[in-house]
Amino acid sequence: MTLRRLSLMCVLATGLAAPAGAQTLTLIRNIDAPHYDGVRTTSGATGEILFKTGDTLVALDYDLKTVRPSLASSWEVSPDGTTYTFKLRDDVSFCSGKKFTADDVVYTFERVLNKETRAPFIWRMGPGISVTAKDATTVEYKMSAPFSELLLNLTNFHSTIVNKDSVEALGKDYGVKGMDGTGPYCFQSWEPRNQTIATRNEAYKWGPPVYENRGPAKFQRVVWKIVPEEAARLATMASGQGDMTYTMPDQYLPQLSRLPNMQIHRPEANLQLFYLGFKTTRPNVSDVRVRTALSIAINRQQIVDAIYFGNGIAAETFIHPKAQDYNPDTPKHLGRYDPAEAGRLLDEAGWRMGTDGFRYKDGQKLSLLLYGFAGGRSPKIAEAAQGFWRRIGVDLQLQMWDGTIVFSKLATQEYDMWSISFPYSSAGDALRLYFHSANMPAPNRMNWNDPITDAALNRGLSALDDATRFRAFAEVQDIVHNNALWVPLVHQGLALVSNKRIKNVRAHHVYGSLIYKGLDYAP
Amino acid sequence: MSTTMDAAPAVPAAGGSSEMARPSVMRRIMRDKVAGGAALLLTIVVVAALFAEWVAPYDPYAINLLNVMAPPGGEHLLGTDSNGRDILSRLIYGARNTLMLGLVGVIFGGFFGGVLGILAAFYKRLDGWIMRLVDVLLAFPAILIGLSVAAIAGAGLTSVLIALVVATVPDVARVARGAAIGVMEQEFIEAGRALGVSDFTLIWRYLTLNCISTIFVFLTLRFGQIILIGSALSFLGMGAQPPTAELGMMAAQGRDFLFMAPHIATIPSLAIFVIVLCANLLGDAIRDVLDPRLQQ
Repeated sequence: MTLRRLSLMCVLATGLAAPAGAQTLTLIRNIDAPHYDGVRTTSGATGEILFKTGDTLVALDYDLKTVRPSLASSWEVSPDGTTYTFKLRDDVSFCSGKKFTADDVVYTFERVLNKETRAPFIWRMGPGISVTAKDATTVEYKMSAPFSELLLNLTNFHSTIVNKDSVEALGKDYGVKGMDGTGPYCFQSWEPRNQTIATRNEAYKWGPPVYENRGPAKFQRVVWKIVPEEAARLATMASGQGDMTYTMPDQYLPQLSRLPNMQIHRPEANLQLFYLGFKTTRPNVSDVRVRTALSIAINRQQIVDAIYFGNGIAAETFIHPKAQDYNPDTPKHLGRYDPAEAGRLLDEAGWRMGTDGFRYKDGQKLSLLLYGFAGGRSPKIAEAAQGFWRRIGVDLQLQMWDGTIVFSKLATQEYDMWSISFPYSSAGDALRLYFHSANMPAPNRMNWNDPITDAALNRGLSALDDATRFRAFAEVQDIVHNNALWVPLVHQGLALVSNKRIKNVRAHHVYGSLIYKGLDYAP
Repeated sequence: MSTTMDAAPAVPAAGGSSEMARPSVMRRIMRDKVAGGAALLLTIVVVAALFAEWVAPYDPYAINLLNVMAPPGGEHLLGTDSNGRDILSRLIYGARNTLMLGLVGVIFGGFFGGVLGILAAFYKRLDGWIMRLVDVLLAFPAILIGLSVAAIAGAGLTSVLIALVVATVPDVARVARGAAIGVMEQEFIEAGRALGVSDFTLIWRYLTLNCISTIFVFLTLRFGQIILIGSALSFLGMGAQPPTAELGMMAAQGRDFLFMAPHIATIPSLAIFVIVLCANLLGDAIRDVLDPRLQQ
């Protein structure tokens, strides 16, 4: 028996002997949230908790495409696509006991639109919005132009409906010292960087039809524990101190899957891409032949096997084939591995191999600077790319930044490439965010300023029917792939690890949250 | 005037004239078997690091994702890391960077610290100002300085070097000042002043040369600590950037795979341990030989 297996078995034995709180669901996370006010952050850690302590007007099904009723029991869209009329449920109340009405919806969205709130997700709400309460259970959501992604975006945690009284009473402490939502669990306490506790909302019976159980939840309490160290998370799960996590490093998944008390669940689609982006205005990567050469010089399958331990899919395209509006005819040349062709393309672009093993053009070395995150898989993938590109004579310099400053560094123009992964809800969501010229310099860090792309994106976003929207976004996919604006690497796999004592587990993937509301989970 | 210069008092050499009859410093260090072993090991590491291009069996930057985390033995004597790179080759190149960190930290930190300490001892009016500056510097741990420099200038070996030099200066300044104050009380300093010897000559010939062995002994002991701090900063991601091999960073990269491939983290950690141990043992031996107080 190897030392590794012996140590894991010891930990497991300890866990089997330890009595677990049957009515408490303990969720293990790697990082804490900055706060729990969903309109003021993009943090997935915030979303993870808000999905359980609050509700949105509409909910997202497991296929990540179908929008289901939630606080809104039904909705109608005007023929011109600019007005959505939501009919609200009449039997919903907040954890505080206050009845939920259309005024709460109006207040929530007005708060998002308020410039003082500085809501980072505001662009996901549509253009020129005004929200009014027609009566206690009817809300009219008007926009200046059609926005085909609206319903999908309203499933995001930033649209969680808040109680005006609670927000105004707590002021800046809303989401820190307390909050009031309509979710299956009620916020109880938060010890930053240690744990957050929520208790069951006994009145809850308005769960979305995504779940068989509409409420109340089957656990009395949910505890989110922060365990930053990867090995410690493994030990916590193996010993039974944690019931579920979806922040388990890839390398431990094969081991965990062999433990008798663990099971691993995967969502139907992994809408999270790891890519390397090109700043097209930088001289060394301004040539599409160079960008294409760099993309095809990387063996993605080897990265999936060696760095992701199989927990991902080698990406041929920027958009996952299961995402809404993915174009199956998208050019897939960026995803193949052909170092010989890469060398030929670089030769053609004028970058000749020098005696030192690197390529030169007009006396200048083909040297690129890449910025990325200092933690997680990012440095490992960047080093792998560095190794692959050395083989074709490209010198890649890496500068990995701590998470606290990386985004400010990525907002500069001082680098050639960057690495990042991002979750998205549909092709349109991802394409609009990254490739519209209105989003320069970030997140359109490529400085991609193309009127044809913008026009197609605008057509897709304002489409009134699925076919028009698809055609528009398919055109954008063609353009951005043909111009090799990114190196698509891996559609990242996410795994929900759970203790077998938890029943009815199924992995969701709403904006990177694999647990979502977890209403069916049972002890 | 020439008679004045001729009559300048002889400056006693550190250790006194009786040293002349004793065996050489190196021979006396080598009499200590432990120190001799440490010196030999350190020499091997230094030579391997200096001639890494010829000694390393593989390109330390060549990845092989089809052979990741291979255990020690076979084709790769110390195994491969998580990117399939040869650990022995990276260890040899990494030792070069790690030793460079220690050496640069000692040389520059020693120089600036020594100058500050000796000036503080010689010029009483500067003493308070310099020592308060030293106190301020002492208040910040080296790790904190490293993190701050990396946050401003970006992570990299340069940031670590700046942090190591800044962290070394106050310690050396205190030691140098202490040694210099002792020398300042000697009669030959008073005599030199009475004869009109310039400040520069007094500071260099009379003061510095009589303190230098104490500073040198301190720096040899400090060398190991500097390597440890430098490795710690690299371990925290503030130092060498990928794919540069550096022992602290190699240990950090292996940390994620402790359960699966413990050799990736333990081999560079052991290398740091051996280098620091050898440096400390050698420093002890040099101190025993050179420190005038111990000789008395």
